Amino acid sequence: MNALKTTSLAAAALATALFAPAPVRGMESEWSKNPQSQVRLLTPWVVAPRSGELILGLEFRLAPGWHVYWKNSGDAGFPPAVTFQPEAILGKPELLWPQPSRFELPGGLVALGYEDQVVYPVLATIRPGSILPPAPEDGNAAGEPVRITADLDYLVCEVDCIPYRYTLTVDQKVGFPTLTDPETAPLLEQWLARLPKALSDVPGVKVSTLLDMGRTPPDFEVRLVGVEEQPGKTGLFLESHEALDAGRPQVRSFPGGVVFHVPMKPRDASKPLPDKLEIGWTATNLSKEGRSFDLAVRHAVQVAQKETGPVPGKAAEASPRRLARLLLWAFLGGLLLNLTPTVLGLFVGEALALKGTAAGVREGAAAAATGIVGACWAVAGLTIAASREGTPAGWGAQLQEPALGALLAVVSALLALNLWGLVEAPLAPAGSVRTGTGRHLLAGVFTVPLALAWPVPLLQEPVGYAFGRGPATVCALYSVIGFGLALPYLLFILAPRVARGLPEPGPWLPRLREGLGFLAGAGTFWLLYSLSRQVSPEGLAWIELSLLGLALAAWLRAREGAGRTLRLALVLGLAACGAAALWMADLNRLVPRPSVSNPGLPPVLPARPAPAEPNPNQTSGG
Amino acid sequence: MLRKTIRTTLLGLAALSLAALPALAAGAVGETAPGFKLKGVDGKTYSLADFKGKTVVLEWVNPNCPFSDRHAREKTMSELHKQYGEVVWLGINSTNPDHRDFLKPAEHAAYNQKNGVNYPVLYDETGTVGHAYDAKTTPHMFIIGADGKIAYNGAIDDDPPGRKAKAERVNYVGGGLNAEKAGKNPTPSATKPYGCSVKY
Repeated sequence: MNALKTTSLAAAALATALFAPAPVRGMESEWSKNPQSQVRLLTPWVVAPRSGELILGLEFRLAPGWHVYWKNSGDAGFPPAVTFQPEAILGKPELLWPQPSRFELPGGLVALGYEDQVVYPVLATIRPGSILPPAPEDGNAAGEPVRITADLDYLVCEVDCIPYRYTLTVDQKVGFPTLTDPETAPLLEQWLARLPKALSDVPGVKVSTLLDMGRTPPDFEVRLVGVEEQPGKTGLFLESHEALDAGRPQVRSFPGGVVFHVPMKPRDASKPLPDKLEIGWTATNLSKEGRSFDLAVRHAVQVAQKETGPVPGKAAEASPRRLARLLLWAFLGGLLLNLTPTVLGLFVGEALALKGTAAGVREGAAAAATGIVGACWAVAGLTIAASREGTPAGWGAQLQEPALGALLAVVSALLALNLWGLVEAPLAPAGSVRTGTGRHLLAGVFTVPLALAWPVPLLQEPVGYAFGRGPATVCALYSVIGFGLALPYLLFILAPRVARGLPEPGPWLPRLREGLGFLAGAGTFWLLYSLSRQVSPEGLAWIELSLLGLALAAWLRAREGAGRTLRLALVLGLAACGAAALWMADLNRLVPRPSVSNPGLPPVLPARPAPAEPNPNQTSGG
Repeated sequence: MLRKTIRTTLLGLAALSLAALPALAAGAVGETAPGFKLKGVDGKTYSLADFKGKTVVLEWVNPNCPFSDRHAREKTMSELHKQYGEVVWLGINSTNPDHRDFLKPAEHAAYNQKNGVNYPVLYDETGTVGHAYDAKTTPHMFIIGADGKIAYNGAIDDDPPGRKAKAERVNYVGGGLNAEKAGKNPTPSATKPYGCSVKY
């Protein structure tokens, strides 16, 4: 967008240089002056277009030592607040924020803003049809000018702060042909170039963020892969957040990228944060291929909750209702997981196998349900252990770990191969009529990793809540999810007749299973898609190749007539391909391992940021 | 045999899950308000412990800050204090005595009298209490609940530039005190404070 604006402004400036008949007085308001600052509204157009984007500028010139603010003013002050008229034509224009500076204030406080001079670009969109076309007799001349007014409140600070209020006015001609102002257009263009880029404007740059409430103090981590640090210049600025107070960012380089850590403080310690929190930030003075740029991102950040013991208190009053809701969600979320392609594929196969089970439908179903709930407990235990090691916790958070994502992809590929009749486990071969209880147990256990691959939104809040409460809660919640997931089997226990009522196995059964295999295949593709954000394209290609090898080995092995040695070799090949997928995922990860478990990375997080020394050389104010 | 094992295991898992459920009911609380003992503009010594069991409002003040001064002139705080008579209202001035914004007791008392500030204003010359509360601006507001825990932390209202008419502003402290009175938690319980920086 910025590039577009800059280009169109440049083109317009060129057109002006070629065709402007005589120097034209610049289109800007009078300076509104006070001893600390002066401010004016400017427009790059002598004659502005009748519709579309209109970029204005709010220019401040400041006396030495005084500053005005960025969109997050820091610990004190506030950013300029401005309303534009006429709203019917301009809508609600938006102030844009060039790269800010950091000012140290006494007492370790910080202000974020601008000194000397700043032009805040203002993005307005002229509503189509809001300006009447000129009468035909106007010829090339513009119609009546539009009077644009800006009601401005701002705070200018040095040691003291002084609020000012002005109304700035520009009479903007509109019409055709458009004409840019040779004085203001280049100035505005220069400040537009200082706006941060969006992530989509910088291909090859990857971002991963995590708000880890488990650290002391809580830590907001921003990892940028595909950029370089400019030592002493690269910085991070956080937008203000209603729930969080930010400390001083620390920056470190690692091979292939830059990582920022910001100590955070929740403004309200009594309320657990949601699992996703929208946070906006701007990373400044990054470097890529020798070019410097800023990057602004606003997105939902994963929150790793703090594990705390049960504390009685005021906030508990409202919790029974919330608890009931979260439990219901966990149960329904578990039930919903039955509809995901891989779980559904396994379930249908299993339900049909139950009919022919030797020990009876009830026992088979109980075995499967036990397998599911037991595996949920195991997953709860593993997740708790992993979250202590710094791996993000939460339903679906597993997918952020490339090796685990690859493991899940291998598991669902195995299920697909099983349904296609190429691998025996976890379901009995299609032709078998009688199956043992143990096999049903295995199918139940196998269901859980398949379910883990699907980040059902319903489960995010309950799981996040549980991780905020401690290990016992996590176990309880995972078992509720497990019972939800096992509900179809529990229904079989209650009403075995349902299973007996299923159609008799016939020649259609192998066809159905093969069809279900494609559902499992879809699950594999989903996991590969998730992995595409965690591993490099080459890594993904290797993982896909490993899965292909896995399928090939399974197919060769399933062929009749192969010798025993060859079959054994193929089993080993199958295992090797699975292991290779995991290894490749780990080797080609884009996201570095959690620093706790990887001593190879530089220690990115100091135990506590050093208390700020007021710097006498820097502006102090606020 | 296997039947029985499976059945026992499933029942066991269900029982275990039920047993772990109470863990879900636990809640968290706000931080305990740091205690302090400070000398007032009036020469008396005030301690937070004196107001145990009462709702207390803390307001960081600096008469030389245009924001603090505007609210004093507009009587934002003193009228709220009057409206909630049972609530203890304390102003705290953490301005460094070396800073030119610092007011001596006589000057401060005169300023308070002129603007109808009839609640105690305390000196925190070392900034210790300000840092303990992480007070950043003047004004920066805190409500301490009757349980001694911080119930609100942030701005006085939703209008940093003071553009709106007084009646149109959302007064967070007023709303918070109403909630406290009703035995509820203030909503919002935290906002970003605005104003001048505290002159530590």
